[in-house]
Amino acid sequence: MTDTSQTVMVANAQQHRVTLKKTLSACLLLAVALLVAVLVASLLGSERLPFSSSLCSLVSLGQNQCGLSADQFDILFQIRLPRVLLAAAVGGSLAIAGASYQALLRNPLAEPYLLGVSNGAAVGTMLALVFFGRFAWSRPLMAFVGALLATLVVYRLARGKAGATPERLILSGVIVTTFLSSAIVFVTTLMDATRIRSFTFWLLGDLSGASRGLLPLTLGITFLATIALTLNARSLNLLMLGERDAFDLGVEVARVRILVFVLASLLVGSAVAASGSVGYVGLVVPHLTRLSLGSDNRISLPAAALGGALFVIVADTIARTVIAPRELPVGAITALIGAPLFIYLLKRP
Amino acid sequence: MILLEAHDITIKYGERVAVGHANLKLKRGEITALVGPNGAGKSTLLRSLNGQLRPSTGEVRLEDQAIANLSRRSLARKITVVAQEAELRFPVTVLEFVLGGRFAWSSNAGWGWENEHDLQIAGAVLQQTELAELSGRLMSELSGGERQRAVLARALATEAPVLLLDEPTANLDMSHQATLLSLVRERCDEHESAALVVTHDLNLAAQFADVVVLMKSGKIIRTGSPVDVLTTQLLKEVFAVDVLVDAHPMSGVPRITAVHETHSRY
Repeated sequence: MTDTSQTVMVANAQQHRVTLKKTLSACLLLAVALLVAVLVASLLGSERLPFSSSLCSLVSLGQNQCGLSADQFDILFQIRLPRVLLAAAVGGSLAIAGASYQALLRNPLAEPYLLGVSNGAAVGTMLALVFFGRFAWSRPLMAFVGALLATLVVYRLARGKAGATPERLILSGVIVTTFLSSAIVFVTTLMDATRIRSFTFWLLGDLSGASRGLLPLTLGITFLATIALTLNARSLNLLMLGERDAFDLGVEVARVRILVFVLASLLVGSAVAASGSVGYVGLVVPHLTRLSLGSDNRISLPAAALGGALFVIVADTIARTVIAPRELPVGAITALIGAPLFIYLLKRP
Repeated sequence: MILLEAHDITIKYGERVAVGHANLKLKRGEITALVGPNGAGKSTLLRSLNGQLRPSTGEVRLEDQAIANLSRRSLARKITVVAQEAELRFPVTVLEFVLGGRFAWSSNAGWGWENEHDLQIAGAVLQQTELAELSGRLMSELSGGERQRAVLARALATEAPVLLLDEPTANLDMSHQATLLSLVRERCDEHESAALVVTHDLNLAAQFADVVVLMKSGKIIRTGSPVDVLTTQLLKEVFAVDVLVDAHPMSGVPRITAVHETHSRY
């Protein structure tokens, strides 16, 4: 081996390691920011809570009341914290689902909302409410089925004889979305007038009506599916370069595809069942993480999950504080932040 | 010694027979050129050799094992493909791209980082393909020729003994065509690898190949040395065009020139 090639190799290795360190510390930073956001968001709201006592009580994980009244303690642990955690789960789910779709489908625009997957989950949730209203778990279950069916339909539609172009995929998504939207209108007419308002609110993305009973399930799915998807990051790295290339290099393409479809549908299903369709999270957050940390899914997938959780916590805190005691749907805030941000990203040179 | 053997391969697209009962042997240290007109089934045959297309008759054997019985990862360690690069839609650096070739060797198929050995091999192939200085650049910033070299570098990084190249020189200028095939030649000589090159360039095939396989309409017409296969008679039959075959003044290998009728008219 010549001296120059030795030098280049060492330089390569060093450069690679520096990148890794940088991205790993960015992930750590995101995790810390998320923790801070959970704490701060729990303290903010229409009901003013004493700052230090609340913080003390949160840090003790509810073991110590730290001088809070029973009412204040209940607001903190029965209302605020569960809602903040749900916001984190929903944001994390939608963002990592989006990031995975983008890698698998080789399309930077693929996103649960744009692909019609969110609407599939919404139809599933509504059908569960209308027909199995008594069983809370039927909602995430049917939302999952709806999300998976919508995913498969869009995928089949997009894969025409000419192959799946990015435009074709988005077009298929639009077709499925509008079709499912009319299905939602149809199901809405089956409901009584008093419930319609709360449904419209939920459809826009709303964390207030979420059932607390499903929080452990939603959190669990987010956590486990994030790990499972991250464990396939190397395969997704190669799939991002093309299905044929990935196959040639040893990726079991069909297995990874099924896995991503099922896990992403689980994530989107549980998120939508809990909070309706919160748009733009799956699009904007993965874009930002890829932009700042690079395309390597080993980093960008977990970073997207953390960033998504952070994004929705912030958006939801805004949603429930700006016109307190009234609330905005969180979906309106994510779109309000997300759309201009996305336009900015598209216009960037 | 035979590394890869395709025996009686038939591949159908619906009713259409793309490849019919083809036999092919790739030997250690040899470059085999697969030539023939458009639509002859060359790429289809190549795609069946690493299991991407399943034959309806016959089987492909790697070192005397049916490839259908091998896992995707173990097969990817033995057979690598250089194809026209797919359009990249995400920013990836040249080093990241080339390290993709180490995927099949990672102890963990899912997560895990590349180890020291992987980085060393990536460094070596980047050096060989003269891309070392560009390793930190984004693939989208490279010229077409540099990208094609990165695709070859990634294939070399797999260390697979069988190289399948599907028109690897199509985007390259004359000097880079020769450089690329010299690298393949080097790999075959030094690592006792076997290479199959699908190409439209008969002169390049004559220059670099040990064995030439001539295909037409899904059938293998003739297999043999360049001198035996690239003859006026056979080429006229297969390509339906008059050709002039003489010996290259320097290397002595067959030199093929198409004779178009228009020339004689004007």
